[in-house]
Amino acid sequence: MQEATVKRVIERPSVVIAILTAITLLGFLGVGRLTKRFQEQQRALARHLYQQGLAEQQAGKFDPALEHFRAALTYDRDNFQYQLSLARALRDSGRTDEAETYLISLWERSPQNGAVNLALGRLAVRRQELDKVIQYYHNAIYGVWDANPEQNRLNAWFELAEVVLRLNARPQAQAELIALSASLPADPQRRLRAADLFIQAQDYEHALTEYRRVLQLDRTNTVAAAGAAQAAFKLGRYRTAARYLEAAAKADPHDAQIAQMLQISNLVLEQDPFSRDLSTEERQRRIRIIFDEAGQRLDACMNSKERQMTPGTQVDPLPPLKAQWVQMRRRLIRLGHAGESGLADQVMDLVLQIEQQTTACTPTTQDQVLLLLAENRGAVEQ
Amino acid sequence: MSRFLRIAPEPSPAPDESNNAASVRTRPRFFAAATLTEERFFLILAVFIGLFAGLAVVCFRLAIDWTRIGLLGPAPEPHTLRVLFVPVLGGLLVAVLVIHLFPAVRGSGVNQTKAAFYIFNGVIPLRTAIGKFIAAAIAIGSGQSLGPEDPSLQIGATLASYLGRRMNFSREKLRLLAPVGAAAGLAAAFNAPISAVLFVIEEVIGRWSAGILGSVVLSAISSVVVVRWFLGAQPLFRIPPLTVFHPTELLAYAVLGIVGGFAAVILAKAIAYLRPRLRDLPRWTQYLQPALAGLVIGLIGYLGAPQVMGAGYEYIDQAMHDQFTWKVLAVLAGLKILATTLSFVTGTPGGMFAPTLFIGAMLGGAVGGIERHFYPHLTGTTGTYALVGMGVLFAGFLRVPMTSVFMVVEVSGDYSIIVPVILANAFAYVISRSFQYIPIFDLLTRQDGLDLPSLEELREETTLHIEDAMKPPPTPVLDSDETVHDAALQIQQASFNLFLVRVRPSGWTSITRDLLQRFVNEGKGELTLGSLLPPQRLAYLHPDSPLEMALRYVHQAPLVPVVCRADLRQLEGVISSEDVLAKYRMAVE
Repeated sequence: MQEATVKRVIERPSVVIAILTAITLLGFLGVGRLTKRFQEQQRALARHLYQQGLAEQQAGKFDPALEHFRAALTYDRDNFQYQLSLARALRDSGRTDEAETYLISLWERSPQNGAVNLALGRLAVRRQELDKVIQYYHNAIYGVWDANPEQNRLNAWFELAEVVLRLNARPQAQAELIALSASLPADPQRRLRAADLFIQAQDYEHALTEYRRVLQLDRTNTVAAAGAAQAAFKLGRYRTAARYLEAAAKADPHDAQIAQMLQISNLVLEQDPFSRDLSTEERQRRIRIIFDEAGQRLDACMNSKERQMTPGTQVDPLPPLKAQWVQMRRRLIRLGHAGESGLADQVMDLVLQIEQQTTACTPTTQDQVLLLLAENRGAVEQ
Repeated sequence: MSRFLRIAPEPSPAPDESNNAASVRTRPRFFAAATLTEERFFLILAVFIGLFAGLAVVCFRLAIDWTRIGLLGPAPEPHTLRVLFVPVLGGLLVAVLVIHLFPAVRGSGVNQTKAAFYIFNGVIPLRTAIGKFIAAAIAIGSGQSLGPEDPSLQIGATLASYLGRRMNFSREKLRLLAPVGAAAGLAAAFNAPISAVLFVIEEVIGRWSAGILGSVVLSAISSVVVVRWFLGAQPLFRIPPLTVFHPTELLAYAVLGIVGGFAAVILAKAIAYLRPRLRDLPRWTQYLQPALAGLVIGLIGYLGAPQVMGAGYEYIDQAMHDQFTWKVLAVLAGLKILATTLSFVTGTPGGMFAPTLFIGAMLGGAVGGIERHFYPHLTGTTGTYALVGMGVLFAGFLRVPMTSVFMVVEVSGDYSIIVPVILANAFAYVISRSFQYIPIFDLLTRQDGLDLPSLEELREETTLHIEDAMKPPPTPVLDSDETVHDAALQIQQASFNLFLVRVRPSGWTSITRDLLQRFVNEGKGELTLGSLLPPQRLAYLHPDSPLEMALRYVHQAPLVPVVCRADLRQLEGVISSEDVLAKYRMAVE
């Protein structure tokens, strides 16, 4: 009787479904435990293989490293770090196509990831694809970083500037550096690096500003002083350059380049006919000396054996210059007269032409001084 | 679970069952006592079948991976003795298991499920699933070149069959349970429910039936939910960016279809040739055959291509992400054909799906790589070619054209790839059909001595229509408004004795020459035909109706009118029983 009741109860649909549900739940519990253990084991294997791969990569053994990274990903295939390492190993072993495909698949999953964008940017550098370089580096700069985001962003930005300079995109490099310098913290090392890059980008104005900031932070930084001197020198601000060069020369008396720049700066300052404190007579005297030296340079070069005509040019430019020089010498007696206010500039223009046209003849230090004086009229004293 | 759903006599059958005494006798009390009908409970059970199949397949996959890691190590490397000898030892163990403990696990799980559906009333012994689980895990884990899908399909089908038997389902429902479980198993193994449902419909059941479609879909989805719950939602291989740059690139996909078609033919021919010959060898050789296959596979792995060992999904993933050159991909495809053929023909338990995908992916990648070499500006990613290549082999080797297309779309989740897939698959399918007329599953069935229906033949069977057998309308055709006298004048020149009469407002009837003459003789010449003929109307048919429909009506009248659907008074032709039989005879000949 009791057995019949039990049978009747378990023949009810709700009871059957309850029993099936209970079996399912038990199954879920059991399989869940198995799966957890399985996944832990897989992750441990993946870690082990990844470490092996890293060691091989550091030892320069790219092929075994690749195999181990791949094997690691077999067991933990969504691990971003492993994927990124594999992509980097592919890139470093020269398999750029594979690396790019792999990185793009990572990028599509996580387009904001800074590390992936940086890796893609470096790949684009290898292919010299400037647009992609800028795109991926910018993504990296403004992207998401798991650790040290500020440091990683600034490093990526510096790297972008260097890369763009290597790719001869100077205006782009200057733009990046201006933006970068606005974001830099008060860190002399980073500012110094930015200033050096400004120099490479031939943006001497910003370079000088950055070096000055470094010196404000660290007065004893001789590298910054030398850099500032170089920037001021390039800007034709020889007074400023001389001040920084003296400081740099004190710190490193054996630096030949600094010594030469200091010598030139001093000569420029000594011979500058546009210096504000000069008397009229002295200004005229200096102009005449400069003019005569330019004439001597012209004569010497015209008679020099080392001078050769530039291939493709039909006319020798020096004889006409000589004619101009002779004509100008006749006018020079009127230097300082009321109707000849622009004569000094005309003389300096001729000096500039002579120095530019005689570059084929080995220039002396004095020639460099004359050229700089003619180029930087009025700025020398800054 | 105990036999809690016992059949009991039905005291008061439900009204809708009153005409079906047989069903009343065989239905369990369970369904009659409750409001839950067998149909509804079947649907609920389909969900549980999916859940159980999903759990079983998760365990199966864990078992394969543990076996592989335990036997071959976490990263099989060439030039290691382990890679050389493990497949041999695995083969020996599998042979002993298959010969002594689980003889039913030899052969294709798809065919065994079909056999259960068509022959054995849905019965698959539980022992088969257990044997398949153990033997296939050892075989695949030890490096035999086979995949887990076919065993998963059979495990699902067996679980479903077992549950159905325990609950005393009717024979009809029990037969349907095997495909329901098969869909669940395959969906769990592939992590792709649509493809699994399509495959079961296309290859196991062979027809779209509303009665089973819902259950198959429910079980497939349930099993996929379980697999994703435990193993994650990611597909078997990660899909790279898919690109088709230019319409001219479709030519390359056509080439891929041709190459894949021939590769499928080679694989099918090799299996067709070797399998019966190896089975005919003395019994003692059955112990050594899987081991020898393992030796060849181990040698391939030892010499530098361990990628061909096992299912190889991780290498499909790598191929799709440009991690092999096209030369390596082509070599791997060739070696995989060899390894898979040997593993399968020696009776090692395991499926053909994963190797098919592997070969397809490698061939696709190779074709893509070659195209990229010559036309770098035209070529999409290698992943795109590899993915299309998988569909190509599916279409060419397994001969499931619909599944092959949807599988690629489902796995990739990208419909933009559908045009190259259809194009390449069509080429592969046509080539495969041309050179290997019998599909691989039918071939294996026949080699096993069974005569299961060929579902490809069923799909392609031409249906005869009325228009194929009907004859032109005989003239004259009379009208019910005509007088008897006019009608008699019209039929004077006719050579036959039976005439169709068009009745107003619609419908048809007929009159014989003798009857018309009798009306004339009786002096009814001025009366209309409509007023004299009996009210019964002839049944009529339409030209596009199936010919078998004519069989229902041709015995009612010697001539059945065939009329236009748009105008029932417009006669298109006539059909008689002789016409129907003549057409069927001609079709058979």
